[in-house]
Amino acid sequence: MSTTKDFIVAQLKEEISGFKAEVSEKSVGKVLKVSDGIALVSGLAEAMMSEILTFKTEKGEITGVALNLEESQVGVIILGDYTAIKEGDEVVATKRILEVPVGENMIGRVVNPLGEPMDGKGKIETTKFYPVEKIAPGVITRASVKEPVQTGIKAIDAMIPIGRGQRELIIGDRQLGKTAIAIDTIINQKGQNMKCVYVAIGQKESKVANIVTKLTEAGAMDYTTVVLAGASTPASLLYIAPYAGCAMAEYFLDKGEDVLIIYDDLSKHAVSYREISLLLRRPPGREAYPGDVFYLHSRLLERACKLNKEYGGGSITALPIIETQAGDLSAYIPTNVISITDGQIFLEPDLFYKGNRPAVNAGLSVSRVGSSAQIKAMKKVAGKMRLEAAQYRELAAFAQFGSDLDPETKKKLERGQRLYEIFKQDQYQPLPVSKQVVAYYALINGLMDNVPVERVKEFEAGLYKYADLNDAVLKLIEEKKELDEEVETGLKKLIGDYKVTVDYLIK
Amino acid sequence: MKISVSQYAAALFDLVADKSEKEVTAIIKSFVSVLDKNHDFNKTEAIITSFNEIWNKANSEVDATLSSARELSATTRETVTNYLKHKTGAKKIILETEINPKIIGGFVLRYGSKVLDGSLRNSLNSLKNKISN
Repeated sequence: MSTTKDFIVAQLKEEISGFKAEVSEKSVGKVLKVSDGIALVSGLAEAMMSEILTFKTEKGEITGVALNLEESQVGVIILGDYTAIKEGDEVVATKRILEVPVGENMIGRVVNPLGEPMDGKGKIETTKFYPVEKIAPGVITRASVKEPVQTGIKAIDAMIPIGRGQRELIIGDRQLGKTAIAIDTIINQKGQNMKCVYVAIGQKESKVANIVTKLTEAGAMDYTTVVLAGASTPASLLYIAPYAGCAMAEYFLDKGEDVLIIYDDLSKHAVSYREISLLLRRPPGREAYPGDVFYLHSRLLERACKLNKEYGGGSITALPIIETQAGDLSAYIPTNVISITDGQIFLEPDLFYKGNRPAVNAGLSVSRVGSSAQIKAMKKVAGKMRLEAAQYRELAAFAQFGSDLDPETKKKLERGQRLYEIFKQDQYQPLPVSKQVVAYYALINGLMDNVPVERVKEFEAGLYKYADLNDAVLKLIEEKKELDEEVETGLKKLIGDYKVTVDYLIK
Repeated sequence: MKISVSQYAAALFDLVADKSEKEVTAIIKSFVSVLDKNHDFNKTEAIITSFNEIWNKANSEVDATLSSARELSATTRETVTNYLKHKTGAKKIILETEINPKIIGGFVLRYGSKVLDGSLRNSLNSLKNKISN
């Protein structure tokens, strides 16, 4: 026992004697004014933009970020509780631009925008720090988007396919399933070689707790990081949250990996930036947002990209979420973000209440990457689907005249009704792309035409079960990723065999 | 028209440059009456600070404060003054010393908006942080 005690004492003595006190010169300033999360500091003539400053208060050290560099003072936003700071307190410049810890150990954890753990699972060991603000990769370093992100949601994978490196906006009123789409996408990334980052900006902490539980149940936390800036966090942390999340994603991008990042939601982010800007006395513009609110989102979303092989070949796919008020797509922030992203998924309340969930409006939703982000098999079966779905919606008004229409229109209506039935999907039930191909193949080749509309869902569920039992075809699709003769014959046989077992077909 | 603190200080500096003591007293009197007329007496403190800064910059002087736990010898003060002259390139260093037992040992040197913390209190704090991590 004494050897251990002696050993410890000897180690301690060695540590202390080997300790060299470092005296270095620091820039200091004094707090002139502090209020509402903003501090005005005098001195600090050499402060840098977005530099981390430390306030030395009685309750310990509090960090802040310099955002306004004026002639005789520096405007600082406080990342933490500002009530402990008093006028006259000393402020030290750390010479570090705002950065967050990044690394493999972030996966599976719930952290705040400064990288501190929020899930009570202990300290996170990291060695690397990435800057929160970064200039997006240039044109030369990028490659075109070719690989798909399988969301597992039928409506999206068929009509509005998303590719790795694309930015696709999810936009709609409150309570229409925007977050549900995002979460289903994360759950479907299992086994797809994709890391995920979910940034919750201004969300209710109870909602995020539910999300984390669901993700853990689905095994998604094995490849997901949750960055949480809840509704009660100060505006300064809400402001840096998406950038911090993007920095954590960029760690994996630099290693050549694919990352999916979800910003939920950017409307609250714009509101927090408006709050900070107004408190820093920057002049307000339209709807009281500051003049650079476009730049706020464009610099964030431009960091989502696909890099070419020389630079690692990694990608970041961004799914920003915007909440509109009363379906107004032409408001300030929605129009800004629509013009930045490569397409949008528009959710409509009418469709939602009619029972079409996910409530995706096929006409207004678009993906500017389109079919280059689909596997060949899906491209073949879903090629004209978006157009057909939009046309059906226009024709649906005539559905009440059922018997008065020509056979061509009637056929379109019947097909459209079944299409919309197939698009209906339950939450937390993402579907692998092979099964989607089976269902769509059956639909577009008329193999579902004699299934009554109200039993299409039942038919579909049964078809998937049947396909699982005889999974040779599914495996073939996943392997070949295209519809050649072999696959088509297999599909025809599978669906034909299944239909024999079903007893409610229309004669 | 609103006149800022820095404008007042700059004006005062220009007025008293190269003037004798008697002239300076007269100038200060009229300066104060101008302050009174513009109802800007509350800015006096700030004007004095700003004036000091402008004076130091123009005459290449640096104000510095040296805090120590015990009285420091003249040679030590001389070394610090020379170090500051070398560091800032100023022609004259106005060194104020103060005794602050709270720093336990060593010294804390403040000049401009910089601090050089060579106190024992600081070393002990860093040691504490290093060991506890």
